[in-house]
Parts: sequence; structure tokens; C-alpha cells
Amino acid sequence: MPKLVLKFENAVLQEVPVSSKEVSIGRSPDNALVIDNPAVSHYHARVFNEEGRIMLEDFGSLNGTFVNGQRVKMIALKHGDSVAVGKHTIVVSDSRDLDGFASSYAAKPAAPKLNETVILDTKERRAFMQQVAAGGESAQVAPARLKVPTLVVRKGKTSQKEYPLTDKLTVVGKSTMATVKLTSWFAPRVAAQINRREDQSYYLGPADKVPSVNGRPIDRPTKLSPGDVIDVAGVQLEFVYRD
Amino acid sequence: MRNKIEFGACSDIGCVREGNEDSFGAAPDVRLFVLSDGMGGLAFGEVASRIAVETIIREYRGAKAGTGLNGDSIEGVSEASNRLVSAIHAANKAIYQNAEQNGANQQMGATVVAVHLAEERMSLAHVGDSRAYRLRGGQLEQLTRDHSFIAEQVRQGRMTQLEAGRSGLQNVLLRALGTSPKVDVEITEELILDGDIVLLCSDGLTRELTDARIAAILGSCDEAQEAADRLVEAAKQAGGGDNITAIVLRRDANSRNSFARMFRIGR
Repeated sequence: MPKLVLKFENAVLQEVPVSSKEVSIGRSPDNALVIDNPAVSHYHARVFNEEGRIMLEDFGSLNGTFVNGQRVKMIALKHGDSVAVGKHTIVVSDSRDLDGFASSYAAKPAAPKLNETVILDTKERRAFMQQVAAGGESAQVAPARLKVPTLVVRKGKTSQKEYPLTDKLTVVGKSTMATVKLTSWFAPRVAAQINRREDQSYYLGPADKVPSVNGRPIDRPTKLSPGDVIDVAGVQLEFVYRD
Repeated sequence: MRNKIEFGACSDIGCVREGNEDSFGAAPDVRLFVLSDGMGGLAFGEVASRIAVETIIREYRGAKAGTGLNGDSIEGVSEASNRLVSAIHAANKAIYQNAEQNGANQQMGATVVAVHLAEERMSLAHVGDSRAYRLRGGQLEQLTRDHSFIAEQVRQGRMTQLEAGRSGLQNVLLRALGTSPKVDVEITEELILDGDIVLLCSDGLTRELTDARIAAILGSCDEAQEAADRLVEAAKQAGGGDNITAIVLRRDANSRNSFARMFRIGR
């Protein structure tokens, strides 16, 4: 699995794998990669996997994120790249050897016949997943969040000032089933939806309206990061994690 | 809302297999739709998927009548979602017990994808690699994530979509009904709004057709039944390597056809 190696000068401080879960980078302790330095923003940048490509996105940080010396907003990373955040360096290590493990499995006597579905029972699955150095299904490796994901109302008419996201599905609109209840006269019944996925991440998607996140309209479900500002149906909401 | 949902379904043996191990069922009175893809030697795959569909519909109705839930209740989801998950736990147990009665060396199992509708809200439960999609504003979105080895590799960033498509390990499932006394059911809640089309399908469809092709067919049909028929036919034309089943639900403000629409089963 690709991984990020956090270094200060020549010392290795931390190693984080880039799985399906994004790696958030920043000074705030709830980031996956915490860099405790005043030159680093609380939520500075993130690294995520997009269809096998490792992407880096800077969250508009004050002091910037640099890849191989160039300041970047969003870039695909490759093996050996050096990402500078403040005085720290994050080195990208990506030595995936896919053919290796796939053929080692296929060569086993229990290999499935083509077209015949095989079910790995829990024991087999565990052994198999360990063999490929994983910790089980990705949904199960997500650590429990201690903080409460919350929508804070910045602008517009709503029934409350803040909405903790406790349900799997959160609806923004005038509808009776809406959690974030819009109270202006011409508000749509179902303006937008937010889903919590199994890995505890939150996705905002369009419904009767196309919302925007940080000023960019989104026509398909988009993962929310702390600090994201959502505009929909005349209401502005900020996505944060509350203690 | 009842007169706003129109549905159609089609199932076909495909071009290669000797039996159809897919099953599906519709219970419009309780707004429940279920699709299952069975696996196992001899005719056990067919048995497993049929038990899955029948048990889920029966148990859902039973739970509605006020019997208790199988398993712990889940927080953060609706009562209907809890009932649906409970019904799937019952189906898991029924298949597992049936397999035991048939002798220890006869493994049988099934996937399931089931949807319950309540106004705009959908409860979507699944186990295995049968999928649910939603077409909204021309965009096709997969609402379920496969419980398969390959899909997991992609999620963990060990494989790209392209590599996954070429892999010989497509058939390895991480979860299924009936293979152990307990199963982990994934429950999702989603919205179905005016103009949305929801598709439930077995892997026989998604292995043959790209997302773009599925979106084009769903988007070009005026009726749910026509869409289901055309999807299955297109998958057959593309090779039909496995059994193919599709259930199509359309929510349309101007729909003339209500739940009264009949469905049929292909050869």
C-alpha cells in the first residue's frame, strides 16, 4: 500500500498508509497526520486515493504546500515525491506489487474456477487479508471518532443554529423528514442530502438543488472535510467536528 | 407517494449457465423490493436465493405486525431500516440451517440487495456484490459498495479500477448470506426524488455493461419495465456470462402506471 513518511530533517516521525480513507494533514490533533508547528494550518491539506492515484490537495493553507519545490493546490503524487509542509517533509512511498499477491492467491489449490463465486469465510478472510498486509475490510479499520460532526449555520433561515450529524442520512430542506429544516417561504422540500458512509466519512450530494462546496457547484456526491462551507437554497452551512 | 413509483423487473438465465440462480421479489403493499443471487453446487444456488427473497419479504411483513427484531437495533437509521436488516438476518439463518440439513459439504449462499421506500426515503440493505444504482440528473451513482475482495482492494488503494476490471479474482466475496450463523448487513439510507430512477441488479448485469451504457438505457426508457427488459437484453448481447436480473424503480410526478404494473420473468 502507498504510504506517507513524515520527516523532520532526517528523522522519521510517522508513517501513514494511504488507504481508502483520506489522510488529513494539519496542526489540529484530529488530523491523521499531525504536524505540531505554528507554520502549519489546523487543517492544512489532505492526501486521498482517487481510483488508484494518490492525490494531494492543499486546503488554501496560509503558508502553502510544496511538492518538489513547487507550491501546489491539487496534484497527483508519485513514488519518491517530497511534500514540504512548514519545515517538515512528507515523502511518498508507493511500492505496490499487485501482480505478486494476485498470482500467489490464484496459485493456491483453493483457487476459484472461473465464473464460480467463492465466499471467504471470516477465518479464511482474515488470514487472506493479513497475507496481503491489510487489517480487514476498510470500513472496520476506521478509528472511532470522538468528535461530533456538525453543521453550523452561517447564513439563512433554519430551525436551529447547529445540527449534529447523528443519522446515516441527513436531509436539508423544508420536508418533514428534513433534519436541517429550512424555514424560508420558498425553500425546496429536499434541497440536498448528506450521507455517512461505513468509514464514517460524510458525503454531500445534490437533491432538488445543486449545492456548492467552498464556492464550487457539485453535481455528484462529494466528501466533506472539516472547514468546508456549503451553500444551498440560500443557506450557508459550515461542516466542522465539535468536541 | 404510492402512485408515484413505477417498477419493472426482468431476470434471465444468460447465455452460458445451465440454471438461473437469481431470484427477485416485489411486495408493493409494503413497498419492498428484493433481489438475490445464489451460489452453490447442484440446484442449491437457486434454493438459496429463493429462500433469501421469500424470507425477507415474509419477515418484513411479520416485523411490521409487531414481532421483535432479530439482532440488535441500529442507531441513526429509521425503524424501516431496522426491520429490513432484521429480515435479512432471518434469511441468513434460514439459508444456513437449510445448508446444514443438506449435509456439511454442501456450501450454499446468496447475495442480497433490498430496498424499502417511505416517501422520498429509501432504506437500502445489501450483502455481497449485487448492487443498487440511482440515476439522477443524468448521473449514475452506485449506492452500494460490493463486499468483494476486488472492491475492497480498490477501496484500500491497492488496485486501480482498471486493474480490478482485469483481475481473475472477481468472484471472491467477503460477505454472503447463509455461509455462517451471523452476517454483517450493510444498511444505507438514501433519497428517491421526482425524476430519479433506481436500479437493483445482479453482477451478471454489471459485468457485461459499463456504467455509461446502464445510464444511457435507464435514461432513454419511458417505462420501468421497458428499462429492465432492455438492460437484461443488452447484457445478454454483450455475452451473458452469468444470470442477469434487474429491478427498475422510477419516481415520476406524471407517471400513469402505479404499482399495478406487472413484471415478468424471462426464459
